Amino acid sequence: MFFNSNKRSESNVGFSHLGEGASFEGEIHCKGEIEIAGKVKGNISAKTLRILETGKVTGHVNAERVEILGCMLGNTSSLNVHVGEKGVVRGDLRFETNLSVAEGADILGHVQKAKKDKNKKVDTEKVRYLEHNQRAS
Amino acid sequence: MPSVILKDTIFKGTLSQKDSITLDGTFIGNITAEEIIVKDNGNINGNLNASVNIEVNGNVVGDLNSDKIHLTSFAKVRGKLSHKNLSVDEGAQLEITAQTRKRISNLNKE
Repeated sequence: MFFNSNKRSESNVGFSHLGEGASFEGEIHCKGEIEIAGKVKGNISAKTLRILETGKVTGHVNAERVEILGCMLGNTSSLNVHVGEKGVVRGDLRFETNLSVAEGADILGHVQKAKKDKNKKVDTEKVRYLEHNQRAS
Repeated sequence: MPSVILKDTIFKGTLSQKDSITLDGTFIGNITAEEIIVKDNGNINGNLNASVNIEVNGNVVGDLNSDKIHLTSFAKVRGKLSHKNLSVDEGAQLEITAQTRKRISNLNKE
């Protein structure tokens, strides 16, 4: 794993990638897309954030689109949130437009659809999520 | 899988990586890895610590520590270098103190 070609990383144009062997402590600001396959402790702001299956994020996340396929400990606020089937979330999910949760996802926390003015409409999306979870279990 | 940080990304903190990392963005803080490659747009403010190789083609302020250090023609480096093997290309802008390390591998055998 460690010795496979370093040149491969250069073909990876388009988004930043934090590899599986990486562990980072601190802040990340990304104007584009970033993929996390390693461990991050700290807050992340990005346009698109993808936490891969091996990835683990501890901290707050602020983005336009978040895909959680790995482990997310902390609060997430984003326009769109997707939690994959192996996704683990411990913390609140706040989203403004869309939420999708795949069957098998593990979520513990508050899930709410938030308009920009932070109101408390915990309506249809939450019900749908609860129903979904019931079906999944 | 190696890490890649593009120019639209800013990292502030400490990173340790088991394999290789390619930086084309801004990094404030220290990095430890097997191999560190700083590209044209890379801007590092902190110490770089690599076990095998450091290649700089961007801007670094901080200390560099590696067996092999290669500063290419667009490199701008300020800090202390500690290395076994240093190569500098024509055009590199440097403000450095360099020190070649003795090979410790022989001492360990005794």
